[in-house]
Amino acid sequence: MLLEIRDLHAGYGALDVLRGIDLTVEAGEMVAVLGPNGAGKSTLLRTISRIDTNVRSGAITFDGHDLLRASTVQGVRYGCLHVPEGRQLFTELSVDDNIRLGAFTVDRKNIDADVAAIYERFPALADRKTQTAFSLSGGEQQMLAIGRALMAEPRMLMLDEPSTGLAPQIVAQIFGILADLKRAGTAILIVEQNAYLTLQHADRAYVLENGEIALSGTAAELTADERVRAIYLGGSTDEA
Amino acid sequence: MIARLRADTRTLPILALIVVIFGIFASHNATFAQAGTYAAIFAIAAIGLSLLMGNVNQISLGQSGFFGIGAYAVASLTTTWNLPPWISWPLATLIGMLVATIVGLGLGFIALRFRGHYLAMATLAFGLICVGVFHETKFLGGAIGIEDVPYPSFGALTVSGYPAYWFAWILALGAALLTLNLLRGRSGRAFEAIRNDELAAEVLGVPTRRYKIFAFAYAGALAGLGGSMYAAFLGIVVPDAVSVQLSISLLLMVVLGGSGGVSGALIGAALIGFLDISGHQFENTREVVYGLLVIVVVIAAPGGAFGLIRSRFKSKPLAARAEAASTVAATPIAIGTPPADGAPLAVSHVTKRFGGLIAVNDVSFTLTRGTLTSLIGPNGAGKTTLFNAISGIGRLTEGRVEIAGIDVTGWQPHRVAALGVGRTFQNARLFGEMTVLENVVAGAFRTERTSFGADLLALPSSRRSEREATDRARETLARLGLEPIASTLAKDLAFGDRRRVELARATASNPWLLLVDEPAAGLNASERSALTADLLKLRDAGMTLLLIEHDMRLVMSISERVMVLKFGMMIADGKADAVRNDPGVVAAYLGTAS
Amino acid sequence: MFQLLVAGLTVGSGYALVALGIHIILRATRIVNFAQGEFTIIGGLLALTFVQLFHANSWVALAGATIAGFALGLVFERLVLRPAARSGEIPLTIATLGTVSILLYGHALIPGWGSLPQPLPSFSGEASDAINVGGVSIQIQSMWVLGLLLAALAVLYIFFERTYYGKAIRAAANNPTGAKLVGIDVTNARAVSVGLSIALAAYGGTIIGPITLVGGAGGTAIAIKGFVGAIIGGLESPVGCVVGGLLVGVIEKLIQGLPGVSYGLSDPIVYSLLLVGLLLRPQGLFGARSAVRD
Repeated sequence: MLLEIRDLHAGYGALDVLRGIDLTVEAGEMVAVLGPNGAGKSTLLRTISRIDTNVRSGAITFDGHDLLRASTVQGVRYGCLHVPEGRQLFTELSVDDNIRLGAFTVDRKNIDADVAAIYERFPALADRKTQTAFSLSGGEQQMLAIGRALMAEPRMLMLDEPSTGLAPQIVAQIFGILADLKRAGTAILIVEQNAYLTLQHADRAYVLENGEIALSGTAAELTADERVRAIYLGGSTDEA
Repeated sequence: MIARLRADTRTLPILALIVVIFGIFASHNATFAQAGTYAAIFAIAAIGLSLLMGNVNQISLGQSGFFGIGAYAVASLTTTWNLPPWISWPLATLIGMLVATIVGLGLGFIALRFRGHYLAMATLAFGLICVGVFHETKFLGGAIGIEDVPYPSFGALTVSGYPAYWFAWILALGAALLTLNLLRGRSGRAFEAIRNDELAAEVLGVPTRRYKIFAFAYAGALAGLGGSMYAAFLGIVVPDAVSVQLSISLLLMVVLGGSGGVSGALIGAALIGFLDISGHQFENTREVVYGLLVIVVVIAAPGGAFGLIRSRFKSKPLAARAEAASTVAATPIAIGTPPADGAPLAVSHVTKRFGGLIAVNDVSFTLTRGTLTSLIGPNGAGKTTLFNAISGIGRLTEGRVEIAGIDVTGWQPHRVAALGVGRTFQNARLFGEMTVLENVVAGAFRTERTSFGADLLALPSSRRSEREATDRARETLARLGLEPIASTLAKDLAFGDRRRVELARATASNPWLLLVDEPAAGLNASERSALTADLLKLRDAGMTLLLIEHDMRLVMSISERVMVLKFGMMIADGKADAVRNDPGVVAAYLGTAS
Repeated sequence: MFQLLVAGLTVGSGYALVALGIHIILRATRIVNFAQGEFTIIGGLLALTFVQLFHANSWVALAGATIAGFALGLVFERLVLRPAARSGEIPLTIATLGTVSILLYGHALIPGWGSLPQPLPSFSGEASDAINVGGVSIQIQSMWVLGLLLAALAVLYIFFERTYYGKAIRAAANNPTGAKLVGIDVTNARAVSVGLSIALAAYGGTIIGPITLVGGAGGTAIAIKGFVGAIIGGLESPVGCVVGGLLVGVIEKLIQGLPGVSYGLSDPIVYSLLLVGLLLRPQGLFGARSAVRD
C-alpha cells in the first residue's frame, strides 16, 4: 500500500470535519473521493499534505513514512504531491518559472529535459512560457498546476476538484493526462464533484458524507449504485 | 468583555488610592510630584489611545497632533487674551478640545479608508503635518514656540508645583471614569462588536463607520485635554515636544500598560513616568529598555501589565447572574413587524460582477411572507454572493433589491439590518472575546434607545437600555436552550453551539426576515435535528426565512420552496420534490458521463 | 537648478534604498518595518567601525557593513519578527516601533558610535572633489552614490529575476501555501528576505555616509521620507519604491532651493505628500489596486 489512512479524525479549530476515515491507495491506482459539498473531501487532502488542519487522532502512512509527523515540505520530498483547490500558483511568476520551481526538492541536473517533457505533455503551456501564471485561463492554470507538481517526480498525485470551472473538452483533456500518468505508474487520488465522469476513469472510489465514508467500492460498482445519487441530492440511502 | 470592564471598574478605585498615597509621599519631593503630574497629563492622552487601539482596533500614531492642538490652544490664547484667570485656562481648554474634536472627526473619516500599517502611516502623516504646521506658523511662535504660559488659577489657588499633581490627577481620573461609563454603555458594546468582527457588527445594525469616526474624535479630544494641562503646567510649548516621538511614547505606554479600557493606560503612563524619574541619568538606556519591554510584551504578554494583573486575579464566574437566568421563562417568539407592506424580499435582475467574473447572473425572485425557502447549488455558484448583495455587503453591478417594498439597493448593511433583517454567516462570525450572553445582547443593539451623552454620564436611560437589552437576550437564550453556556466566551464554544448562538444573536432583535447561510455545516446528526426544529419554530411563528444549505436531506425536509443556483444563474425554482428530480439539477450536482 | 537635481538624486538614493528595503520586508512579512530608517543609520555606523577598527578603506567598509547588515537582519527576523508575528499584524507593527526605540537610543551607547553624526571617508579622493559639467559643479561623491545605487539595483535584479533561489524566495512571498506544496521552506525564505532588506539598509547608510555623515538622530526622518517615497511610487512595486524615493529627494531639494521659502517648510510639505498620496492613490504611481483597505 502506498497510502494508508486509519481512523482519521481531523478538523479546523473547534470544528470536527473528518470523523473516522479509513482509506487506501495502491501504487499505480486511481482512487476517487466523491461526495457533496461540506462532506470533508478537501479537508482530507489538506490533512494528508499537512497544510492547515488539526488532527485529533488516527494515522496516515505514505510509503512507510508517518505523514502526521511530517511537514508539508517533507511530504513533498517523500513524493506526495498535492494540487489544491485554487491551484496556488505563483501568480507573479512566469509559466516557465512556475514549472521550474516545481523541481525545488529534486536533483536539477537535467531540469531542462524534464521541463521540455512537461511542455510536450501540455502544448498550451509551451505557447505561453513567458506569460505570468495569473494571465492564463482556468484550464491552462490547472494544467500548469499539474505540470509543476509533476516536476517533483511524485509517487502519488492528489488533485482537488481539477474540473471546477472548466469547459468539458478541457476536463476531458485533463482526465486523459491523468490516465497517462496512471499508466506510467503514478498513483492518483482525486477529489471531484463530477461523480459520473470521475467514476469512468477511476479504479476505485469512496463516497464521503458528513465526514464519514458512506460508500466505497470499485468504480463499476458505484456507477451502478443508486445510493450515490441519494447522497448528493437528498432522499434515503435505503433505496435499493 | 464585561469581565474585563468589571476588572477595570474594580481596579480604578485602587489606582485612585495609589495616586492619593503617592501624592502624600510626594508632598516633600518636588521631583516625584512633577513626575506624577506628567504621568497624569500623558495618562489622559493615553486613555484616548487605549480606547482607539484596544476597544476599536484602530492604530493611531497621530495622538501627538491632538495633544499639540490642545497645548497650543491654551498657550496661544492664555498668553494673548485678557480674561480673568479663573476663566482663562478652562475656556482655552474647551476651545482646544473643540478644535481637537473637529479635527478628530476629520481624521476619523480619512482613517476609514485604511487598515493596518496603512492606517499607521496615515495617522503618522497627520502627526507629522501637525508638527510642521506648529513649526511654521508665526502666530504659534514658529520653531521657538510659546513661553510664559500662565498657570491655571482659581481665586487664591494657583495650579502649579504640588497642587498641580492633584489637579492633573483629578482630571485624569475623571476622564477615566467617563470613559469607563462610555465603555459600559451601548457605545462600548458597539466598539467591542466592531473590534471583534466589523462585518458581523454591521449586519446587527451597528453603524460601524460612525462609531469609528467617533472613536477618533474622542481620542483626539482627550489628547487635547492632556495638551492643555501640559502647556499650563510646563509653561512652554515647542514643536519638538509634540512631535511623533510623543505619539510613539503614548503607544509604548498603552502597549506596556495594556490597551482597551482605562486601567492599562493609567498603569502604562505611571510606569513610564516612574521609570523616567528613576532612570533620569540614563536617558538613552531608558528608551532602549522601553523598546525592549514593548517587544517582550508584544510577544509574551499582549495584554500588557493590566492583562497580567487580570490573569492573576481571575474573577469568579458570574454565578449570581446565572441563577437569575434559569428563572426566565421561555417566552414565545415575537416576530417583529415589517416597516411597510410589500413582499418581505423581492430581488429583481440582480447581477454581481467581480472584474471579469460574473458571480451572480440576472437572478430574480420574490419571497412570500412566513415561508422557508432554500437556496442550493454546487460550490462557487454564487449563493453567498447573492446573500451579501441582499444584506448590503458590496454593491450590486445591476438590479434591485426591495425589502418590504422599500428599495434598499446600495444601502449600508446596518441600514438594511435596521429594517428588521437578520443574517448569519457561513462560518458563524461570533464575537470571540465576548460571552454568549454578551453576543446576544449585541444582537439586540438596534432595539436599544440611549444616547452617547447618557452613556458618558451613566444616566438612568443608559442603564435602563442595557437592562432591557439584557432581558431580551436572556429570553432568546432561554428559547433556544442556551442558558447553561451564557457565561462561556464565544471563542471557547464547541462548534455545534456556535451556530445556535449565532442564530440566537440574529434573532434577538426580533427580525421578521432572516437570511441563514449554511447553518448545518459541521453539525452532527442530533445537532442537525435541533437546528431543524429551531428553524421550523421560527417559521411557524411567522418569520420569513431564506436558507443556503448543502445538506440535501435537511433542505428537502423543511423547505416549502427550493431555488437552485449554478454559475450564478437560477436553473430551478419550485417545490422540493420537483427540483430534486429536475434533470438539469441532477446534472449540476452529479455531473454527466461524457 | 541642475545642481539641485543632482543633490536631490543623491539624497534621494538613500530614500530609495530605504523604500526598497521596506518593499522587500513587506513582500515577505506583510507588514511595514518602521525601523528601516534606524537600520540605515546603524549600517553607516557599522561601516565606520570597520574604518576605525580595521583601518579599512570605504570600499571594504561597505562590503563589511552590508554583510553585517545581513546578519543583523537574520537576528532581527528570528528574535523580533517571527515571535511577534504570532500575536498578529498590528502587534508585529508595534514590535518594529519598539525596535525603533532600541536602535535610535541604543546606538549612542555603543563605544565609538556616540550620538552625534560623524564623517565617513570618501570613496575616492577628497569628499569635496568635484567635476565641472557645463558650468555646474558636481561632487564626485554624488556620482559614487548614484553609481552604487545602480549597482545594488543591478545585483538585486539579477538575484530575484535570474537566479533559481531568488525566484523561490519571490514564490514564497507570492504564495506561501503554493511554495510549501512544492517543497520550499517558507520560513527560511522569509528570513533571507529580511536579511537582504537590512543588508540593503546598511548598504544605503554607508554609501551616503561620505556626504551626509553617519550616525545621529536622523533615522526617523530618513525612514519617513523613505515611506513617502514608497507610498508615492507604490509600496507593492520595487520600481515604484526606487523611483518614489528618488522623487522625494528631488522634491525636497527643489523646495529647499526655492527663493523666499523657509528651509523648514520642505519637511511638512513632503509629509503632506504622504497623506495626499495615501488619499488620492494609495497604490502609488506604479502599483495596482492592492490590499489597502478591506
